[in-house]
Amino acid sequence: MRRKLIAAIGVAAVLTGVAACGGSDNKSDSGKSSSAGPADFKGKTLNVWLMSGSNPPGWTKDITAAFEKQYPGAKLKITVQQWDGIQQKLTTALSESTPPDVIEVGNTQTPYYAATGGLKDLTSVKADIGGNDWAPSLNGSAVYNGKQFAAPWYFASRVVVYNKKIWTAAGITTPPKTQDELFSDLDKIKAKGTKDAFYLPGQDWYGFDGFLLDAGADLVKKDGDKYTGNLDTPQAASAISLYKKLNGYGTAPKDKDEATPQQSDVFAKGDVGAFLGLGWEAAGAITKNPALKDQVGFFAFPGKTAAKTASVFVGGSNLAITQGSKNPELAQDFLKMAMSDQFEGELAKEGGVVPNKASLDSNLSGNEFGTVSAAAAANGGTTPLIPAWGSVENVPNPITTLFMTGVLQGQSPSAAAKKADAEIDKRLSQQ
Amino acid sequence: MAAQYKGTQVRAPDEGAAEPGPLRPAGGKPPAGARTARTAGTAALSRATPYLLILPALVATALLLGYPLIQNVIISFQTLDAFQLIQHTTQWTGFGNYKAQLTSAEFWHTTERSVFFTLANVALIMVSGALVGLLLYRLGKRMRLLLSIGLVLAWAMPTVAGTTVYQWLFDTRYGVVNWFLDKLGWHSMAGYNWFGGQFSTFAVITLMIVWQSIPFVALNLYAALTTISGEIFEAARMDGAGAWRTFSSVLFPMLRPFFLSTAFLEVIWVFKAFTQVYALNAGGPEGLTETLPVYAFVEGVGNQHYGTGAAISVLTILILLALMSYYFRIILKQEDDL
Repeated sequence: MRRKLIAAIGVAAVLTGVAACGGSDNKSDSGKSSSAGPADFKGKTLNVWLMSGSNPPGWTKDITAAFEKQYPGAKLKITVQQWDGIQQKLTTALSESTPPDVIEVGNTQTPYYAATGGLKDLTSVKADIGGNDWAPSLNGSAVYNGKQFAAPWYFASRVVVYNKKIWTAAGITTPPKTQDELFSDLDKIKAKGTKDAFYLPGQDWYGFDGFLLDAGADLVKKDGDKYTGNLDTPQAASAISLYKKLNGYGTAPKDKDEATPQQSDVFAKGDVGAFLGLGWEAAGAITKNPALKDQVGFFAFPGKTAAKTASVFVGGSNLAITQGSKNPELAQDFLKMAMSDQFEGELAKEGGVVPNKASLDSNLSGNEFGTVSAAAAANGGTTPLIPAWGSVENVPNPITTLFMTGVLQGQSPSAAAKKADAEIDKRLSQQ
Repeated sequence: MAAQYKGTQVRAPDEGAAEPGPLRPAGGKPPAGARTARTAGTAALSRATPYLLILPALVATALLLGYPLIQNVIISFQTLDAFQLIQHTTQWTGFGNYKAQLTSAEFWHTTERSVFFTLANVALIMVSGALVGLLLYRLGKRMRLLLSIGLVLAWAMPTVAGTTVYQWLFDTRYGVVNWFLDKLGWHSMAGYNWFGGQFSTFAVITLMIVWQSIPFVALNLYAALTTISGEIFEAARMDGAGAWRTFSSVLFPMLRPFFLSTAFLEVIWVFKAFTQVYALNAGGPEGLTETLPVYAFVEGVGNQHYGTGAAISVLTILILLALMSYYFRIILKQEDDL
């Protein structure tokens, strides 16, 4: 009788369940040819993926109405994605036969996706969608190998968002001009019994990159024709010690990023003195707790001296059309619409983000965050614009998990940096 | 599963030791004389019946496990990163992924960690599960019902939901565990970060996995115990055997097949436990709690080197097969004895 053998095979079948993790199926799909005529957009849906925090409600409503008016019968479907784990999601989406038509890609991640071939080459239509007016410094991440693979959409740099009520109660009337002043202010706030004078979670690497740029170094350095990790340096040690000091002014976790929990939700409770954040985070806090409406103020992170504010990491997002889009015409027109003065201006005005051309900066005048953030961005930098950089940001990010949390939990900057640099080198060389 | 132990009832200790009763499908052989009375056609049909009955299970296994497994093995011989995935190109690399892993210190560290993690968990699960099972047997009706309900609830809890509960229990700022330890007078635990160190993270993961696995062992042991005649225990008592002696000389040998098969099922489950380890702390801090399945996911999906991830998962299966070889040997040996 072979029953026991069958039983053994059954156990083996249970074992193979281990292999459930694997790649997705990579069959090639030529796709249906889209042969829609110019006027034939009835029943079509344009799928647009935007990132959490990018699209303010007013802008979303207006651009949807404008799009659907221009293309009667067509639908604009905006899906909001979370930053956490977005690269894996984008890779999978781009490999499918029906990817979203338009995607928002973070500026640091754009070269990676341009190199994979998943984004449509927009060089020939750049002028048509308004590309001649884009600020060259802001367009850098969207260009790869001399070709335009995305359109720069908006920019933002983190500034200090503070609770005026708590600061005034501690007897502070003007925002600090230097880092020394900042710390003496925070001491005063802490002395008043505020547990979180400054809320800075241990893994906000965008914030850390600003400190690092201010210390005069980059996350990576160029070594011949390849890039290597650059955290085992005196500059990085000084930047992380500033970061650690700030983290100590509150109860923020050392091993979590600014999205777990959303720092705007923490700030919304009204008992946090300040945090390093973006306009949409401040807006989110006010939505959650309307009592904060007139209490939220902004100032650029101060420099070592009063001469200039600290350097910041300039984050931003590009809009790209996917190579596999089934509605390339609609996608291109949507891009043109989003890049137009009307909607780019509205986005700047409502979201407080820096627009892609200088002529639209006036939209920021009524937005306190936008004004402060745009001024701070003049002194900004970003990650190296190379495809391999995308691998460094893959989860788990060595900058945050190995270096920042490591140091915050007591390792020496140099020891933690060595571990992080080794992993960064490995990832940069694997591309 | 529990119903199958019915087959083990009232068997003398020596006999039970020789046969893995639990794995024998219920039903037994058809009566030998029946075949002669039938026509050739029905005989063929009756011979085919077992195979027909097993067919749906085989088809499901082939589709849901076999196909992905073969795909996984194929991918493990490829370089499959974001570029290849998006471009739909196939780039073979031979044994490149395997060679890279087998020569990587990180892979062997993770393997070692996985093996020790599995052994520690299975030992804890079997001991506590057996104790709870024996308790169930001795309890009165009402308390037994209460305990059974508790066990079933722990068992029925979806893994991710359970993980979320544990994350909150052990939360640094708001966790009830830290609050309780603080109230007990251990004030340094008030803001303790359980997920900041390797050992404490593993402690929480182990506690959770053991908690989730005890019901299976306990309820099955209880089911097996109910099939044993009470006279055997009485006889042991008459001979002057204490509780431990009764367990080690009477109960354990009788239920050896049960303990063996359960322990090895637990080995499989703990070794491949992905959800608990990943959902709790994503293999952190610093990847120090990455077990092989988590390592395969982090390298494969996290870092978008899908070929590498596939190779690690194939190696994981091979290592698990090696761990299980003792069990397979027993089963196959008994096959020959029959």
